[in-house]
Amino acid sequence: MLVKRLQPMISHARRNYVELMFQVMGRALQAISEVDETTRKETRALPDGFLFEMQVMPNGPKLIVEHTGDGLLHYHSNGAPRAVDLSIQFKHITHAFLVLSFQEKTSVAFANDRMLVDGDVSLAVRMTRVLNRLESFILPKLVAQRAVKEYPADLHLPEKLMSAARIYLKVATHFVETVRA
Amino acid sequence: MTNKYYEFFCPVKVIAGKAALEHIPYELSGLAAKRPMIITDKGVRAAGLLNPVIAACEESGLEIVSIFDDVPPDSSTTVVRDIARVYRKEKCDSIIAIGGGSAIDTGKAVNILVSEGGDDIAKYSGAGVLKHPLKPFFVVPTTAGTGSEVTSVAVISDEKKGVKLPFTSSFLLPNAAIIDPRMTLTLPPHITAATAMDAMTHAVESFTCMAKNPLSDAYATAAVKKVSRSLLGVMDNPKDEDGRLELAQASTMAGIAFSNSMVGLVHSLGHATGAICHLPHGLCMSLYLPYVLEFNLESIREPLGELLLYLEGPEVYSATPAARRAEASISAIRKLRDALYKRCELPRTLKETGKVLESQLEAIAKMALDDGSIMFNPKEVSLEDALSVLRRAWA
Repeated sequence: MLVKRLQPMISHARRNYVELMFQVMGRALQAISEVDETTRKETRALPDGFLFEMQVMPNGPKLIVEHTGDGLLHYHSNGAPRAVDLSIQFKHITHAFLVLSFQEKTSVAFANDRMLVDGDVSLAVRMTRVLNRLESFILPKLVAQRAVKEYPADLHLPEKLMSAARIYLKVATHFVETVRA
Repeated sequence: MTNKYYEFFCPVKVIAGKAALEHIPYELSGLAAKRPMIITDKGVRAAGLLNPVIAACEESGLEIVSIFDDVPPDSSTTVVRDIARVYRKEKCDSIIAIGGGSAIDTGKAVNILVSEGGDDIAKYSGAGVLKHPLKPFFVVPTTAGTGSEVTSVAVISDEKKGVKLPFTSSFLLPNAAIIDPRMTLTLPPHITAATAMDAMTHAVESFTCMAKNPLSDAYATAAVKKVSRSLLGVMDNPKDEDGRLELAQASTMAGIAFSNSMVGLVHSLGHATGAICHLPHGLCMSLYLPYVLEFNLESIREPLGELLLYLEGPEVYSATPAARRAEASISAIRKLRDALYKRCELPRTLKETGKVLESQLEAIAKMALDDGSIMFNPKEVSLEDALSVLRRAWA
């Protein structure tokens, strides 16, 4: 009975959590492309103006970033300016929650058919590598190990802390700027 | 409760065994199809493989309305459009694809155009674009390796844009796959070996990669067992119909397994090598399989150890300590490759192919990293990892 009453609240909280995580990740993707050369090496292969989306089907929360050139990503907080080039779509909000709460690795979610790729698969593989790198940087090692297939052996604490601090600072600044605007 | 979850789907009717081709007229009539078109290639026709199919249909009063026998090894959007025009002109109502991967993929793509309409196959490219069932479609494989008869994917080249267009939909799956040993009896030894190793790789990767599941496991292990038991016998006696049927069934079973569990790094490297060095797919699979298994070893020790039972049989399995079974499985695969090299010189290293330059390894590694199948490899792969596997496979 109690569970039944709580269900709408749980669903609502889960949706809000996914929405918030997408906002953080979108801004963090922009930030990591500004602070990490390895990430830029990956993203330089994307065409300029390339729009990448992660979305919960059918019209759920989403994050959209654009490759603006030279490996730099730009987060679009107000939706896509045009049709996206690549979309990774969670089939249900529950599946997005599993991944974004680090209960299921992104690679496992793909293997479990939780997500669909609409667009160039090779670019989706590349974007997944970028997401993995981001998670390895910004999450504590114990949590990151639950999120990525393999925690990078060459990522040492000083580099991780420095980069994470810069990424979080940029994310916070972006949030403030968005609120002000 | 764990987060374990899987999906499994295979609605293809498998018609396999002696005189299987003679079931085609009955199966077509069950779908109200009366005017079938055959899509094949010149090699299949020259080998006389169409004759038993045509005879089987004629004996049942079913006329093959049109035969298109000019499918190239790398089928294109133009070929698909041209075949669709013939299909419409001749008022055909069903398709029988006879051949290897290219003929089958072409059949799938033609079926999209003649069912959905239009001349531009490119607009149906991608995943989940098709929303309706297509025309009756039968597949008769003439190689025992690709498993295309049970996969929901087709790849067609767009020669104008210079890209390969992928098509993914469960509606691409044929209504029936007809597995008749007569269709693979004349396969030359090196193709028999390479395609069987392709099936073996599908099964082994299906059983050891991330999307493995209990149902795909059952198909994968059965396929490994059939290839292990029959391949060398068929190499020694190519006219062995029973052995040929075993390999053909293994190919279909491995196809069902990997289309429901995906594949990993062997395929990533194989796709890249095929694109850069134009090596046949089955050969690449055979070549890379043991090296990738060694790379993945610590992530797949348990399932790989289990495969020893199907690779070498119960005596060897029980005599091997559990801790050594994974290594023993790799040794069994190496032993099989050595036996194939002895019989038909199927290359075991990149150097032995004579078609790959050491300077191409980096380009292969880079391309492999962006291949979709790498997502399902149980171990993360960096550029350096891919290169180290390639260097080991070099010589």
